[in-house]
Amino acid sequence: MLEVRDLRAGYGTIEVLHGISFEVKAGECVALIGANGSGKTSTLKAICGLLPVRAGSVTFEGERIDRLAGHVIVERGIAMCPEGRQVFPEMTVVENLRIGAYARKDAEQESDIAAMQDLFPILRERAQQDAGKLSGGEQEMLAIARALMARPKLCIFDEPSLGLAPKIVAEVEATIARIKARGITTLLVEQNSAMALRLADRVYLYESGEIVLTGTSAELRDDPAIARAYLGE
Amino acid sequence: MVEVLQQILNGLTIGGVYVLIALGLTTVFGILGISHFAHGSISMFGGYVVFYLVTQQGMPLAFACLAAMGAGFVLGIAVERLAYRPVRDASPINAFIVALGLTMIAEGANLQLFGADQIVIPTNLQSVFRIGALTLTELRFYIILLTAGLILAMTLYIQRSKTGYAIRALAQNRNAAILMGVNVSRITMLVFAMSSMLGVAAAVMIGALFAIAPGVGEGLAIKGFSVLILGGLGSIPGAIVGGLILGVTEALAAGFLSSAYKDVIAFLVMIIVLLVRPQGLLGKHS
Amino acid sequence: MKSFRTLSKLSALALAAGALLTASPAAAQRELVIGVTDALTGPGAVFGLPQANSVQMAAREINAAGGIRVGTTTYNLRVIQYDDKTNPTEGTNAVRRLLDRDNVKFLLGFCCSGATSAVASFIRREDAVMLVGNAAERAITTQGIPNLFRTRPPADYTGQAAGAFVARQGPRRIAVIGSLEVGLYVQYLDAFEKEFAKSGGTIITKEAFGLRDRDMTPQLTKIRALQPDALLVIGYVEPAAFVYRQSLELGLTVPRFGFTSGSEEQFLRVVTSAQMEGVWDLKPTELTLESASPVGVRFDANYRAAFGSSPSPSAPYAYDQVYVLKHALERAGTVTDTRRIADAIRTATVPPEAVMRYLPVGGQMFDENGQAYTSNGAFQWRNGRWVFVEDLPSDPVDYSKFLRSLRQ
Repeated sequence: MLEVRDLRAGYGTIEVLHGISFEVKAGECVALIGANGSGKTSTLKAICGLLPVRAGSVTFEGERIDRLAGHVIVERGIAMCPEGRQVFPEMTVVENLRIGAYARKDAEQESDIAAMQDLFPILRERAQQDAGKLSGGEQEMLAIARALMARPKLCIFDEPSLGLAPKIVAEVEATIARIKARGITTLLVEQNSAMALRLADRVYLYESGEIVLTGTSAELRDDPAIARAYLGE
Repeated sequence: MVEVLQQILNGLTIGGVYVLIALGLTTVFGILGISHFAHGSISMFGGYVVFYLVTQQGMPLAFACLAAMGAGFVLGIAVERLAYRPVRDASPINAFIVALGLTMIAEGANLQLFGADQIVIPTNLQSVFRIGALTLTELRFYIILLTAGLILAMTLYIQRSKTGYAIRALAQNRNAAILMGVNVSRITMLVFAMSSMLGVAAAVMIGALFAIAPGVGEGLAIKGFSVLILGGLGSIPGAIVGGLILGVTEALAAGFLSSAYKDVIAFLVMIIVLLVRPQGLLGKHS
Repeated sequence: MKSFRTLSKLSALALAAGALLTASPAAAQRELVIGVTDALTGPGAVFGLPQANSVQMAAREINAAGGIRVGTTTYNLRVIQYDDKTNPTEGTNAVRRLLDRDNVKFLLGFCCSGATSAVASFIRREDAVMLVGNAAERAITTQGIPNLFRTRPPADYTGQAAGAFVARQGPRRIAVIGSLEVGLYVQYLDAFEKEFAKSGGTIITKEAFGLRDRDMTPQLTKIRALQPDALLVIGYVEPAAFVYRQSLELGLTVPRFGFTSGSEEQFLRVVTSAQMEGVWDLKPTELTLESASPVGVRFDANYRAAFGSSPSPSAPYAYDQVYVLKHALERAGTVTDTRRIADAIRTATVPPEAVMRYLPVGGQMFDENGQAYTSNGAFQWRNGRWVFVEDLPSDPVDYSKFLRSLRQ
């Protein structure tokens, strides 16, 4: 479904992705793991059109998307739940959900909001509150629900566990597992490698802007390279 | 008491016009972080166009206004595409300089095209309503109605429409808005178009109630920014509340304190508000 | 860049052609350049533009009638005009440009007091003669500047006469609204108030407006609550017109007196004739058709023909300057010795071509202060026009002495 080939990108004069290649097949859950600053989030930004691609290609459902503007990529069916949640703080919970469906033109948007509120009851309780007033965990749920409102073919999660209490992290993990179980293709970036290995079918390990290891979660679960990547040599 | 009410009525008319100008400035600021100084002068261009259509072409005022607001819409798009878009990704100082340059261009163009004389847009609204001891001219009455209508329409549009959602989202978090599928270029253009359209409406009101002359646009832009600072930068309710407060304060200051220091007193109120609430009356904490 | 070069080539060519033209005809026919500095834009443009036009018109008339004959040479006038934008800095720059770059020795125009006062502050040291028009700030002629002359009387000369007139009309409690941060209007008001108080009248409030203010309703609402017998409006035409309009809109129906010197056309752009009905303007007897001499009627007709609009009532102040200069040059017999030319102006009588009706002091047009006087008049708006009602008694000899006494 998504194929990334020799992707290079960077900020200013510094290149942070030195030729990244990976793919996500339909129905799969793929995780990108690795230490802080190894280029995982930059890869996601490049896919979503927030960071210009300097070389290489990104192909989605057989079509190149690496030269498209961000909003067009969303219309193609890729939704992202960004790092740090990034809900719209001065819009209410319902308004945040509604704008999640911004790219859609069908008539089922309101019923989808109800469906999201069934999935995340807290979003019904807090429906008319400003999103900025929610707790971190609630905001994470809102951000996930907002991404799902787009009815994406591919849903990307960027560091969903970052900065959350352990109890909430478990909740987030259960949520993503449920999304995966619905058959939505997911791409997950996660520092919490244990959680990533539990959720993903396949895993790519990043190190300084390159992929150094790949395999199924089962294969990599006990690979010492993973511990090394996080702890340093 | 009658005098106080009369002064408030006086101030509401001009306050409404300030709101229309400030609404444009605040949406542009919210989305792009640009201080669009040329807004007043560009709006006045629309006012001059209405004057020309009414006096030279004999067009009825209402049609002329619609035509000029349409022209303002297109002009807003042109300003965004030709002046601000090229510097969108550059450092903020570039947009600042573009804004200053644009002000001079707009003022100069108005002077060249329409001359240095003041112009008054003619209306045949000459009657005066009297409610007890209060007086309100027909013209002011319609201006208050029209301003209220435009403010309401704009507020509903921002709060309810899909595009309104996009405008707010873009102002609150640009990247997240893109991830929702918001087309930044399109929305930015639209915001400029709507701002200029409201600006033209304000200019017509100024032109009918008072006069349009070189410098009036710049003065109005300064008042508009005062409203923004008073109400909170980028805040739409702030622009509405701030504009009305500024208008009424000016009238009360001139009426009860000193007409010589009308503007000074209005700015004094602004400074006091900023001392107590640096983010503006309805601004967000940052 | 290329077109710019072509343009500069062209203009060089044009200059050369111009030089040829002026040099070629009969050797005795030469060109004399006079400079105009005036408010062509900005709030003073309502006075400045008609003044600048009047100078152009007078120059054309003089040229058509054979030019100025100085000794054996005949000069045709050429006018260079610059815009002072109603701004002292711009006015100073414009005059410096005329003196230093264009080598002009005769400066005319000067409608507005800010820019004029700035130029007056340094003109004494220049090899030039300055003729001031409509600018009414008193201090311009209290410094004894030997090469400066003014055709319009100072504001307080008129204010005094106006105060006496209003007192005779009956009101006792007057509310004033005006450009009270402008010196000349304050002087008018001071003289008015002193004279008005002599017959027991009082000024109950003084409200100010700025040059660019157009919304006077706050001030007028305050005035309305004070229930005055009459309103006195002193300021430029444009804000004054708004005062007249908004006073009626607020239901303030007391008699309205003013000191504005605006033409019918200028007022009617802002207010309706019905809203102006009955308003008094108490000012120097300037150009109005009823009060005009045959010279004035001709001036009005020629101006309309040349510029397609009616002249402002104060426009002839500048027109008369050109004829004052013409006669002085002919009497002095020089176009370069500015001291002799200034002397010739000081001792001149009123030129026959003058449109304004000057009151000579000791037989001469200008007094020892370089100041000329007209009579003052009461004009009233009746059915769409200013009607000259009566002369306001004023004594130029007495005022001239007072003006001399102010010199440091």
